[in-house]
Amino acid sequence: MNPSLSSRRRFLWQTGGGMAGVALSHLLARDVPGSTHSERPEPTGGPHHRPKAKRIIQLFMNGGVSQMDTFDYKPELARLHGQKLGPKEKPEGQTGECGAVMKSPFEFRQHGECGRWVSSLFPHQAKWVDEMAFLMAMATKTSVHGPGSYMMNTGFLIPGFPCMGSWISYGLGSLTENLPTFVVLPDVRGLPYNQKGNFSAAFLPSRHQGTIIHAGSPHPIPDLFPDGKHGFAGKAADAASLALLQEMNREHAGLHPDDTRLDARIASYALAARMQLSAPEAFDLAGESAVTRAAYGLDQPITEDFGRRCLLARRLIERGTRVVQVWSGPQGAVNNWDNHSSIVKELPPIATSVDLPIAGLLGDLKARGLLEDTLVVFTTEFGRTPFEQGSLGRDHNGNSFVTWMAGAGIQRGASYGRSDDLGFKAVEGVTYCYDLHATILHLMGIDHTRLTFRTSGVDRRLTDVHGRVVSEVLG
Amino acid sequence: MRRLLAILLLNLALPAAAADRFHDWWSLKPLVRPEVPRGAAHPVDAFLQAKLSEKGLSPSPPADRRTLIRRVHFDLHGLPPTPEVVEAFVNSTDPLAYEKLVDGLLASPRHGERWARHWLDAIHFADTHGFEHDDLRPNAWRYRDYVIASFNRDTPWDRFIREQLAADVLFPEEPHLTAALGYLGAGNYDSSAAATAPTQFEYLDRDDLVTQTMASFASTTANCARCHAHKFDPVPQEDYFALQAVFAGIGKGDITYDEDPAVQRERRRLEQLRLAVERMDPGVLLASVHEGVIVAAEKAHGSAVAWVPVVPESFVSNEGAALEQLPDGTLLASGPVADKDTYTLTAEAGLRTITGFRIDLLTHDSLPRKGPGRAPNGNVHLSEFEVRVFRQGGGTAEKVALRKASADYDQPGGYDIAKSIDGDPKTSWAIDPREGLPHAAVFELATPLTLPAGTRLTVSLRQLQGGGHLLGRFRISAASSAGPFPPVLPEDLERLLTKPSAERTPEERVSIAAHFLRQSTAEALAKLPAPSVVWAAGKAAVNERGVVALSEPRTIRLLQRGELSRPGAEVLPGALSALGGLKARFDLADPKDESARRAALADWLSDPANPLTWRSVVNRVWHHHFGTGISETPSDFGRMGGVPSHPELLDWLAVWFQDDARGSLKALHRLLVTSAAYRQGSANDPAASALDPDNRLLWRMNRPRMDADTYRDSVLAVSGRLDLTMGGPSVALFTSKPGPQTTPVLNYDEVDRNAPGASRRSIYRLVWRAIADPFLDALDFPDLGLLAPVRSTSVSPLQALALFNNGFVLHSSEQFVLRLEKSGGTREQQIRAAFATAYQRAPSASELARFHALADEHGLAAVCRVLFNSNEFLFID
Repeated sequence: MNPSLSSRRRFLWQTGGGMAGVALSHLLARDVPGSTHSERPEPTGGPHHRPKAKRIIQLFMNGGVSQMDTFDYKPELARLHGQKLGPKEKPEGQTGECGAVMKSPFEFRQHGECGRWVSSLFPHQAKWVDEMAFLMAMATKTSVHGPGSYMMNTGFLIPGFPCMGSWISYGLGSLTENLPTFVVLPDVRGLPYNQKGNFSAAFLPSRHQGTIIHAGSPHPIPDLFPDGKHGFAGKAADAASLALLQEMNREHAGLHPDDTRLDARIASYALAARMQLSAPEAFDLAGESAVTRAAYGLDQPITEDFGRRCLLARRLIERGTRVVQVWSGPQGAVNNWDNHSSIVKELPPIATSVDLPIAGLLGDLKARGLLEDTLVVFTTEFGRTPFEQGSLGRDHNGNSFVTWMAGAGIQRGASYGRSDDLGFKAVEGVTYCYDLHATILHLMGIDHTRLTFRTSGVDRRLTDVHGRVVSEVLG
Repeated sequence: MRRLLAILLLNLALPAAAADRFHDWWSLKPLVRPEVPRGAAHPVDAFLQAKLSEKGLSPSPPADRRTLIRRVHFDLHGLPPTPEVVEAFVNSTDPLAYEKLVDGLLASPRHGERWARHWLDAIHFADTHGFEHDDLRPNAWRYRDYVIASFNRDTPWDRFIREQLAADVLFPEEPHLTAALGYLGAGNYDSSAAATAPTQFEYLDRDDLVTQTMASFASTTANCARCHAHKFDPVPQEDYFALQAVFAGIGKGDITYDEDPAVQRERRRLEQLRLAVERMDPGVLLASVHEGVIVAAEKAHGSAVAWVPVVPESFVSNEGAALEQLPDGTLLASGPVADKDTYTLTAEAGLRTITGFRIDLLTHDSLPRKGPGRAPNGNVHLSEFEVRVFRQGGGTAEKVALRKASADYDQPGGYDIAKSIDGDPKTSWAIDPREGLPHAAVFELATPLTLPAGTRLTVSLRQLQGGGHLLGRFRISAASSAGPFPPVLPEDLERLLTKPSAERTPEERVSIAAHFLRQSTAEALAKLPAPSVVWAAGKAAVNERGVVALSEPRTIRLLQRGELSRPGAEVLPGALSALGGLKARFDLADPKDESARRAALADWLSDPANPLTWRSVVNRVWHHHFGTGISETPSDFGRMGGVPSHPELLDWLAVWFQDDARGSLKALHRLLVTSAAYRQGSANDPAASALDPDNRLLWRMNRPRMDADTYRDSVLAVSGRLDLTMGGPSVALFTSKPGPQTTPVLNYDEVDRNAPGASRRSIYRLVWRAIADPFLDALDFPDLGLLAPVRSTSVSPLQALALFNNGFVLHSSEQFVLRLEKSGGTREQQIRAAFATAYQRAPSASELARFHALADEHGLAAVCRVLFNSNEFLFID
């Protein structure tokens, strides 16, 4: 992290700069229950039943993770390597015709007490398989990135529906007023397919949409402080201006009694001031030990970005953010999981960039006791074909892919579902985004059939008219 | 009349039980004009007050004039009134001051800009595609301008519907209305799925259009019947797929059109003539109407130039093609066809003076499709035509400068003859699709060459396009006549023209006519004003896949559970079957006619007997004036939508709007904003609030918070820099750089806030569908991935941070100071002016003192920042 930046943040934190100077006194005067960064806010109960998970970190691998090169071991591929066994006609959503069967270029070994097969691409996650539960036969309804990402994030193939994080924010509210409830940490190299559409609150109130934090930027939270070029804003001017603003607003509210929106806006400025106090500290990794930083891979260029965002995720959930989504890979032909040209060349770098940080995150959460009530989910928008596609790459495949979950309420070492011998199609225990979402909501104390919002004549749900809690992977 | 008839027919035609089943829901009932209750003179107040008195409630006292003018300005213009306008209105003694104010506001172009935003929200219009490749649609804005213009010129509502769904079919003589078809292109477009998963793409794309059309025009959620019969409303799955069938033949993309009907007629005429020329249609070509043009062209052509063949002593192909001199002196290529080649000819200059060269491309039976080129289609690409002179005794060659090139025919798409002398080997002259015919080109020298005897020439014919686009048979000639040369003709025509016209055969006359008419139509077409382009949908459109035009609409089948893998019976185009007075399936003269399907839906929707349409529009307008619709869900009148608070009033308005106002939105606006209900105060009354907490009965006026666009426009107006330029391409309020793929990376912070266009109204802002502007987002600008008939008003700390710290507000505060300081005066006067401009009122003594103190310590801009953040600024009493 940029040292001058973190010192600026420390300065703000120590002095309570900006709006906060006045807000603190204002808050104290109003006797709003305060909390400092060292307290871990207590979660509220689930609306429908007692939750196992109070917060969630979702790791989203953008582009479509090749399941048969990572977690879905298929020895048959080696036997059938080179044979033309795929569909004759190009399946919808694939970019090309199915080529010959292609074995995985990576070595698989069994790991942990559960004996889960993991490829040599994920040596660090492999050590954590006994904490994970695998959905081995996930499927989706498309093999195109846009609709695929929408489906895994919102449950619908088309834009216009709230993503899971927004639903959870809507359903459970916030654990803290000091930080956003739902935070998205995109890859510093760019946004995923569908851009911000994946984080939209859609028809839910807009405060439930994902707050995008640019982890590599000098301004991770937009507009947290005024730009220094405006001489009349910042520090003392902020404090004096906010004080007068709040006076004006209170006088105005006094003339318009019973309009709760006016009071809510007054409160929102007080909360903003608290966010000014809390956020810089939450984003400042300077206090993390060298051991922790190394555990997340912050000391290695290849893992640094994803590692920093995993560490930020931990800091945020520790301080009361309820949902953090960490993205691996921007949209595009390179630097993500959409490995059309060469699995052997393109997959290892992106896989390495996340492997150590994920293991670091799991270890850190466990050491801090957070894994007990935090759910970690690793997923992607679809899988890939067991066939080459006129190159040494693999094409899009919505018929089969793998998701794992770890932490709160998860049956350790469990596995559910099976794909066919090629890994081309999920055949047993098939799960869709609906089932994954239903399971996640269940762990958070929400009955997915009862979390609804009426819009355009329909009581909309994250799970549409589908969804089954996958009890087979629950502890 | 039509409506009454429909009701009568309905009652006759339907058994009572069926009629009940169809019409037991309020929105589906035929429209009947209810009697206006006794009481208030204004019909709207009469209905409202009748309900209020039933509940023992009464309306609030009228709002004061200062409040009222602020309210009606924001409502009709989305902008605050200026202090001068406020004072004039407050002090006016004219009893009709308010009515005149309203008329003035409705007559201003600001009105269309404001209300266009409401409609663009309702139909999820944006400037980019959304989805995986969120690409810019540089021509989408034409539709936005169309909507603004339609509201400003007060296009009747039924006409507005018909223009947007089928302007091309219903108003073919008003081509400027093609922009209205932008309605059909308003929504998302998944170019990736269109390319790789076309079946699912088309299905979901049609679904989006069905959803948009039925929600925005008929307040019906027909899309809920995609997977099964609608659970709550009488929409069977067949109806849903009948609606899909309406759009089963369209192509989405750019559509080109002429704004001016005369230009369109002329373009059509010329295009038809061009096609007749291509067909060599003697009926058209020899028609007397064209005779004059042809005779004049032949006369202008003048006498032929005396071209002297350059007889080569040597001729070689760089790539080893066999070049053979035929008995007539022409060269013919054979043997291996290289990808690219250069032929070099050397000859003694026969003429002492040379003013130009000519190349004839000639056909031959040995060439593919008779040539004149060697490509499989007979085409040829001449990249560079170069001549060099070797003077006797001189050691080096001189390259001859060529001034001008002309040809009898240039391949469209930039392959004109000038490309053969531009020095750029990547560009070339070609003749597709006119292969199989001779062609010629002439090159004029910059200055005539005077050549002593014995001078040698080399001619290099560089053919570097690739793909074997090489010369087949050709001849080079030279001339010494003084230029300029007449237009070039191919050799055979040149010969024909020497024949007296009386001796020409009909075929020869057709050849001559075709040539001159081809030239004259090409010239005339080039002279027409450039056509306009709009991103839309219709019978044919151009997108990243090229021309999208289906030869006939797709067959639409009912899908079990909405799944493509489970197709059932074919469904023909139609609409809802629940409206007894209207046919559920369309009678089309030609069922395969794509456009006729859209026209039929437009007729169905705009039919006077369609109760949904007319209730929908008056309720939507009401919603925007009063903050809540008579039905709270402007795009859903189904059982899950809001039940109207005043069903009789809604029906009365719908009938009045249709019959009395003739679909005039301005008349409807005028009616609503001149009601006492609209003009009453917004103060709370605990007693009334206890009886009607949501104010559904309108015992007071609602108090909306400014929407995102109004906020931005008002801050610009107050700070004195609102740019009222109308129309044209959308303005980017961000910087962009290339992204990993076609979607760019946008930065909304690093923007020059003083750049031209940066302070134009928000309706002209470029809306990137899935990369929202975080500042406007914080003020609830909707996600236009979906229809947004209603804006929400959220409150959050992030919103507070945005308003307090965003560069737009801070920069505007500084600009506001410049405005205040420009008028001079003391600081106190400046603060008074700031209050008048932002709040439309004077500050109290206490406010003045406190703002003065803030200004003294932190500058006047700090005062402006507080004003722009205050609830008094953001809420409209």
